[in-house]
Amino acid sequence: MSQDKIIDHLFRHQFGKMVSILTRIFGFSNLEIIEDAIQDTFLKATHTWKDSIPENPEAWLTQAAKNRTIDLFRKIKADKSRIQNLDSGPSAIALNELFLDSEIEDSQLRMIFACCHPELQSKDQIAFALKTISGFSQKEIAASLLTKEESIKKRLQRARKTIIERDIKFEIPSGKELSERIDNVLQVIYLIFNEGFHSNGKNIIIRKDLCGEALRLCKMLLNKENLRGNSVYSLFALMCFNSSRLETKATDDIVIELKNQNRKNWYQPLIEMGNFSLQKATTYPIISSYFYEASIAFQHSNAKEYKDTNWEKIDFLYGKLYEMYPSDFISLNQAIALLQLNDYDKVELKMKSVNPKLLEQKQHLYYAVYADLYSKQGKTNEAKIALLKTIELAQNEKEKDYFRKKITEIK
Amino acid sequence: MMKKFMMIFVGQNYEQLGLSPEEMQASMGKWMAWGEKMGKQGILEGGHALTADIKRVTGQNRTITDGPFTETKEIVGGYYIVKANNMDEVVKIAEDFPDYEYGNTVEIREIMVFDR
Repeated sequence: MSQDKIIDHLFRHQFGKMVSILTRIFGFSNLEIIEDAIQDTFLKATHTWKDSIPENPEAWLTQAAKNRTIDLFRKIKADKSRIQNLDSGPSAIALNELFLDSEIEDSQLRMIFACCHPELQSKDQIAFALKTISGFSQKEIAASLLTKEESIKKRLQRARKTIIERDIKFEIPSGKELSERIDNVLQVIYLIFNEGFHSNGKNIIIRKDLCGEALRLCKMLLNKENLRGNSVYSLFALMCFNSSRLETKATDDIVIELKNQNRKNWYQPLIEMGNFSLQKATTYPIISSYFYEASIAFQHSNAKEYKDTNWEKIDFLYGKLYEMYPSDFISLNQAIALLQLNDYDKVELKMKSVNPKLLEQKQHLYYAVYADLYSKQGKTNEAKIALLKTIELAQNEKEKDYFRKKITEIK
Repeated sequence: MMKKFMMIFVGQNYEQLGLSPEEMQASMGKWMAWGEKMGKQGILEGGHALTADIKRVTGQNRTITDGPFTETKEIVGGYYIVKANNMDEVVKIAEDFPDYEYGNTVEIREIMVFDR
């Protein structure tokens, strides 16, 4: 029998599901016991399946988890009020209900909302979400976030402690609290995505995994009708567009670099999914910043060639985005769009409003834009000086090389 | 005349290694592929994985010690018995052992046959 029957990431995703269900039953105070117990079912599977794979691996794991749940009931002397009333007559039925697909999703959403509770520190939220929802090990989280394993361990401990001390509920909030918390959830999802997408780490597998997880979490929100809205659809679209070129992008997501990508390698089904999702977003009256970001990504993703890019539209969208969240980085991007339109006066005006210091690691791009501007204006010396400054400030060798090459191209 | 050999897998178990679900699945895939390969060649006679529960009985007084033994990172996690013409062939087979990346080891021993 072949191992092809086991779907990709089955263990990882199954882990997230099971942690959520069991936390719903036993409460956060038993989280560590729960995680160990589930880990155990996988250990068992790795041994048992070597000889023969069950007909339905997923069902096998679910059944194993159910059995573990019954074991846990005996083991955990949790206070009865935390545990749903499962130990009397109708227990088996109630337990089975919690393992229904719709309830599993509900449990996972509760977990997502708990992970993104504002009482938790932002860094802790991400680590904790990757651990409990996505089944990453400490080592994997550390590698993903380019952080030491020791500090991930601390973040996870702190998150667990906060959840218990502040008595954070395992539930999806309602009313006004819901819309605030959704914003928080989306922010965490977006941060996870960006860790994968912008990371300069070499390990493409880890980066893909992070982007994939972010998409999966966002999709989970979309599956639930009362969570849908402009922001959720828009963020999903944005991540689809960006993911479609994950394989082709070499350094960082800068417009300049888009020029050199082979658009035939962009993954079309993701672009289509993004288009669909963005369209859905337009059916909601309140517009989020993700919507403008996604609309910009839409313009890039749907331009057949670089020269087909609709820069007027992109300029307009950056303007809208800036109105909502004024930032120097948005201005810089808008200047790049204006530069493509050859509107030099407006470029200069825009660039004057940018403070390069506030761009932090992207400071070099400020000078790259000036280099482009001077080059287009025929000021070759100024362009070269600006490029030298760019190279000096660029964060990694690949980018430096890119700009070194540019210097040689200036005539 | 084919001989029989035992491949003994020594090292840390997946629990000690703290593998993530994803890593376990990946490792399991490799174990299956290895098993299938040997199965097709018709050389795999059998084998077992061993649990981490260990009891040791030693000395005149039959002193019993309960595991897990923290001092040892080398526990036998399982074994396969294979048919082969000689040790070198088994060394070749053992190249596909999936857990070298975790620092684990394969020990190969020929099974002794006594003439009756």
